[in-house]
Order: sequence, then C-alpha cells, then structure tokens
Amino acid sequence: MKTYIAQRLAIALLTLVGMSIVIFALLRLAPGDIVDVLFSAAGYVNPGEKKAILQELGLDKPYWQQYMDWVRQILVGDLGKSYRYDLPAWQIIKPLVPVTVELAILSTIVAVVLGVPTGVVSAVRQDSALDYVLRVVSLAGLSMPSFWLGMVIILSLVSWLGWIPPLTYVRPTENLWLHTVQFMLPALAVGYRSSALIMRITRSAMLEVLREDYIRTARAKGQGTGAVVWRHALKNAVLPVVTVVGIEFAFLIGGLVVTETVFNLPGVARFLVEAILWRDYPVVQNLVMFIAIVVILSNLVVDLLYGVLDPRVRYA
Amino acid sequence: MRPQVLTFSLLVTVLAGLLAGAPAVGQSPKAGGVLTVAQREDTPQGFAIHESSTVSTTWPAMPCFSNLVLFHPLKQQESVETVVGELAEKWSWQDSYRSLVFFLRKGVKWHDGQPFTSKDVKYTFDMLREAPDATGKLRINPRKDWYANVQNVEAPDPHTVVFHLKRPQPSLLLMLASGYTPIYAAHVPAAQYRTACVGTGPYKLKEWRKGEFIEYVKNPDYFVKGRPYLDGIKYVVIKERGTRVAALQARQVEVAFPGDTGKTTVEQLKKAVPQLVVTRAAENVNENVIMNTRKPPFDNVKARLAVARAIDRRALNQAVHQGGAAVGVSMPSRPWGVWGLLDKDLATTAGYGKPADEKAAARKLMAELGFGPDKPVKVEIVTRAIAIYVDMASFIINELKQIGVDATLKQIETAQWHAMATRGEYQIGANLTGIGIDDPDANYYENFACGSPRNYTFYCNEQVTAMLDKQSAEIDAKKRLALVWEIQKKLEEEGARPTLTWRVDNFTHWPQVKNLVPHNNFYNYGRMQEVWLDK
Repeated sequence: MKTYIAQRLAIALLTLVGMSIVIFALLRLAPGDIVDVLFSAAGYVNPGEKKAILQELGLDKPYWQQYMDWVRQILVGDLGKSYRYDLPAWQIIKPLVPVTVELAILSTIVAVVLGVPTGVVSAVRQDSALDYVLRVVSLAGLSMPSFWLGMVIILSLVSWLGWIPPLTYVRPTENLWLHTVQFMLPALAVGYRSSALIMRITRSAMLEVLREDYIRTARAKGQGTGAVVWRHALKNAVLPVVTVVGIEFAFLIGGLVVTETVFNLPGVARFLVEAILWRDYPVVQNLVMFIAIVVILSNLVVDLLYGVLDPRVRYA
Repeated sequence: MRPQVLTFSLLVTVLAGLLAGAPAVGQSPKAGGVLTVAQREDTPQGFAIHESSTVSTTWPAMPCFSNLVLFHPLKQQESVETVVGELAEKWSWQDSYRSLVFFLRKGVKWHDGQPFTSKDVKYTFDMLREAPDATGKLRINPRKDWYANVQNVEAPDPHTVVFHLKRPQPSLLLMLASGYTPIYAAHVPAAQYRTACVGTGPYKLKEWRKGEFIEYVKNPDYFVKGRPYLDGIKYVVIKERGTRVAALQARQVEVAFPGDTGKTTVEQLKKAVPQLVVTRAAENVNENVIMNTRKPPFDNVKARLAVARAIDRRALNQAVHQGGAAVGVSMPSRPWGVWGLLDKDLATTAGYGKPADEKAAARKLMAELGFGPDKPVKVEIVTRAIAIYVDMASFIINELKQIGVDATLKQIETAQWHAMATRGEYQIGANLTGIGIDDPDANYYENFACGSPRNYTFYCNEQVTAMLDKQSAEIDAKKRLALVWEIQKKLEEEGARPTLTWRVDNFTHWPQVKNLVPHNNFYNYGRMQEVWLDK
C-alpha cells in the first residue's frame, strides 16, 4: 500500500510540474497583460508609462526567467504579489479558499444524500412509476445548469417573498444561522445537478450488481431485501459512484464560477475569472495550482478509497 | 500673485453653510444609520482616483476625499453656478483669468490626524500636471491634459494656493470640481491610494474586503460641522447584474449603482416595489462611432459623413435603449447638459434629418467614392466584448448595410480595447466615451485635439484646434456658448467622431434615502456628505 501511495504522489508531483508550465504558457499566450487592463480603466495608453509599469512588475523579463521566479517563490512559500491589488497574492487567495471548499463540500453532501438513495430506489423499482419519476427528476437536474437554477431561485425568492439570502459573505463565526442560510441555496442548486449524475450512475451500477449470482444467492439464503440491497449490492456498486463523486468534487472547486457570482459568494472560482480578466498572473497561477492540487488530491483519495472498498485493489 | 483685482476678476465667496445645502423638503435630516450601496465591481484602482477613469472607482472612493471645490451635491445640473467650496473656503479669479487663487479652510485634518495645508494641494496638482519639480508621481495619469494650461502652482502660505495659467481658462474651476479631482495627502505615497485611503472627506475607510465590500465610517473630525449625517456607508460588490437588481428589490442594498438601471429594469423594479425613487439623470457618457482618419476609406471625409448620415439615432435609441437615451451631438443638449445644440440646430445637422433622406444622402456620398450596392465597401467594425457595446455595434452594422457598407463585427476583449484604439489598429468602431464634466474643454481636448492619447480617430484639424483654444479662453459665457455651438457643427460636418446617443440613467434608491441627488454626470455625486436615512 505504501508503494502504491508513493507512486501516486510521484505522479501527482509530475502532474503539478506539467500543470505549472501549461498555466504559465497559456496565460502568456492570451493577448494583453495587466498593464493593458490598467490603461483600459484609464481610457488611454501611454507607451512610456506602460514600459515603466512592466519593469516595475517584472513583466519585461524573458518568460523563462518569469517562470523560474515563480517556481522559486512557490518553493519558499511566497506566492508573489497581486498586480491588481498590490498586496501579497496569499493575502488575496487565503479568504477565498474556505468559501469554495465549504460550498463544494456542502454541494457534494447534498448530491450524495439525494443521488445515492434515489439511484438505489430507482434501480430496485426498475421500470415502475417511481423509477420513471426519479429518472425524469434526474434528467431535469442534468439539463438545468446550476447557475441558471441559482438565478431562478434568487428571482423567485425576491418576487414571491421580497427576500434573498445575504449577499455579503457572513463568516460562520459572525453568525452561524445567516452563514447556513447563505450557503444552503447555492449548495442545493449545485448539489441537485450533481445528484442527478450520481443518481444515474448509482442506478446503472446497482442494476448491474442486482443481477449478479451472489445477490441471487443472498436472497435464496433468506436475506431480507434491505440487507441485500444496502449491504451487499450497494457496497459492490459503489466504486463507480465514488469515482463520480470524486470527479464532481474536484470539478466544483474550479467550476463554481457562475454559482458564486449569482449568489455573490467570494470564492476561488469567481475570483479566478476576475483575475484572468485582469491578467493578474500571480493570483491566476497560484489559484489554478491550488485547483490542480485539489483535483490531484481528490483523485488520490478516490484511488485510496478503492483500496479500502475493494480488497482486490489492495492485494493487487 | 498680483495683489490687485483686475477688470475681469470675479470674487466668489462660498460659505460653509452653502455646502450644507437644503435638506429634503419638509423634513429635518436625521443623523445615524449605515447606508448600503451597490457596487458593480471591485474598485479597479483602489482609491487612486487620479489613476483611474471609471465610475467604478470614483463612486466608492469619493466619500473618502475632498476637492478644493465641488459641484453642489443637491443640484442635478452642474455648471459654473453650482460650484461650491470644499477645502477652499473661497476663491478668486485674478489677472484677467490668468490666476485662480484659493483660500483654504483652516483646521482641516487628514484621516491620519496630519494637518491639511496648501502643500498638499500643490503636491497634488504638480503630480497631476507632471511638473519637473513634482515630488509625487502617478503610475498612470489619464487627466494630465486637463492641466496643460497650468503654468505653475504656488503655495505662498499654508492656507493659500494660486494656479497660474498660460492663458485664461474658465473651465479649470469646473475641472477642479469634478469627482476626478480629489486632493491627495503629500505625506502619503500616491501608490498607497491603490490599497488604502487617507483623505479629508466625510467618511474614513474602515475596511476594504477585496471583491466583497468597501466600508466607511463617519469622520468625526470632518471640517463641515454637523456632517456627514450617516454613521457609515457600505458598498457591496455584486458582480452579477441580475443579482444586483434582486438585491435592490430585496432592500439588501438601498442605492443602485449609477448607470445600472436601464429603462426596462427600472420598469420591472417599479412594478415590484412601487415606492422606489427613480430619477432620470444623464451619465455624461455618449455612444459614438470612431473612424480611423488614417486608414481608407475613412481618411476621406465623405466616407465619414456617409456613416454619420446613415445611422438613425432615434431608431437606435428605441431599439437599444427602449427610448431611454437622449439624442445629441458632441455635447449633451438640454435638459441633460448646458452646451449642446438647440433642437432647431440639431434638426439641420447631418444625420439628424428624416432617416430616408439621410440614408439617400449617405448613399450619394458613397457613390461619389465609387461604392454602392453592386460594389460595397467591406469594413470590420470593432467594439468591446461587452453587451452595451455589442448591441450598439450590431445596430450600426445593419444601418451601414443599407448604404453599401458591408460591415462585420469584431469583438475586442477589454484588456485589448484601448491599446488597439490608441494604436489605431482598426478601421471603424463602436465606442462609449465618458466625460468627467459637462464642459467643452474636458471633452474636446481629450477626444478631438491633435495628439491627444484618447483621440482614437486621429482627427486633427488646426482650424478646429484654434476654435477650441478660442472658446477655452473666452470669459464671456454667451460668446463662449456660441463658439462651442460652432465647434459642434464643424465636428459634425467633418464626421470627426459622430455621436449617436447620450446615455441617461434611471438612478434608483429606496425612499428612506434622502438628499442623494443624481447629477447629470455620474462621476461627480458620490461624496455622500448630505445623504441621510429616514429610518
């Protein structure tokens, strides 16, 4: 198992190095830089002033040197300075991370709590009226983008109740109730979409497992339906579900852009888009690296979970 | 400074009480409360107003600062008559309008407790005009041209400042009254204003949580006694427009962001919340067509005129703004501005006649250049990749097709837009231009003068430049207005940069917000010192 983990970590490290090169290169390929954006806000361009700012920010250096500077900074735990805010990038990024991580975790919980049981029920009651209803609900979830659902929720609330959840971020330490209210709706909007996917995966995996010989054996030996379904079948059907949950969680860390924007939550994804528009390289590079790390870690966790859930993986 | 006051000198004395202005009719102002205000994006340059040209900076940064003078907060239409003192208690034009002397308030403190003196004023304006001996330097200086006529700034004593001008320029006073002209502290590096704010204004910065909000608290040492009324202001950053509107409707913010509530939006809002207060006010932002005078076919005045005549401004107003904008030429007409052409003159200006006649005239001009339906001229119309730009550009394309101009749309990302325009890497474009004050000097030198970095069309006519200088130096208001009308007509005749519409805001707030009067220029009414909450 130790070798297995070591291998995964080595691959993760290589992936991160590759990612850093890709991120760095892609950012430089995009036309314009922070100085163009600064002048855009001023409505003109002055070549002399532009040159001075490029020098000040170190953007006049060759690309390889800029890359090496960034890598060196990361290695000593310095994320550089935000071009836009003139503050250490870490100071900008730090408050964003808990918001996104919390929203992603809550959304994943909503997705699992809704998706897994409905998937199981749908499989057990295959081709029944309940199955059809659940499949339609899940298809609707897949068809509706979460940001659209979020906007519909906001507009419906304001039209019917004249109320919307707080739009200024409330920290849990400030007011736990308001904080919960603030996260509940976006988590539901995002979680519903993910739950639809999990439901469908769970259903198809369960259908496959329910037809296995050992399930028939369990029934023949007099096991109750509950025990057969939830203990024997689900345990064996859960591997693809875990994969999907892992992928969904990783996707959510960087993919909550519009949900964070609609619900005005100051998270990583919303800020990342802003930073890209501003060509704020230090913030973008480090935020994307953070997302990459989360994706890699969640994949690692999924891989490790395989080992826990399926002894064959462990022994192999 | 000459001690004597000459023939054309004008002494204007403004007492502090004037600045207080009249409270809302029939109600005594109440002190207290925190006002919540919508903010469409995080302030682009922090509080560094001098390094920015967007209302996204001036609107949330103005409460921190004071100017020498300011447009009266409670008067919608700005003009020389509505200029009141802020840090300057009084002022005087001297030496035939070649010197402007300010007598400063005493006992004013910066938010960090340091005393405010004439050195701060000199520091600010030397930095702005990039004087050789300036002790401060701006990273970006978009309004340097405003002070091109200032020869030097003198601070003879701690409470007197003298602006010596190369020639008379009555407009200088108005430029100093703009929201774009705060006084910076000489003891604070200019760069620091990008992250924090040390001003003398009615509110002190409490916290700027990046991407979330900007929060101010009342300045207890504010130099106007009894002001401000509010305990604080919170600008809530809400990027998504739909969410901003919902926030206003749900009263999570009490004041909309200026320019945010278009006609359709405000109609929906009023239907949902009838008690919302809506005031129509010009933004002093116009939609215009930029044509590169260095590139064919728009190096030919006939081609530019054809474009100017082809676009039906009234139809554009209906189609894009649902009739909510104002039609006018390069200066906004009444009631949205004081310098624009009269209706009778506007009706005879190229592009403002009957649409069918105008299009026929445009086709004739194109035919004279050898273009027509059988031989259309192909152009690429550039615009910013923002909905309000794209809507306008799409309309223009349709209009141009009708005169034999085969235009295709090219959207440019914001990061590239001004660089592209400044370098002249385009043929024709759909553009928006905001002007800091309703004044010919602020507008014309920036957008039409030879060599100006914001003159994206490279239009350059020495005769027009002479006319600009003449009106700029003219002290008699009536004579100056006549000269400005002539300039407007001349610019239209030359298709210099055809204006299509002037944007008009439906400024919206909840009824408990009092004394927040939108001006016909959304860069200048963010000070908030008179605003109070009737809660």
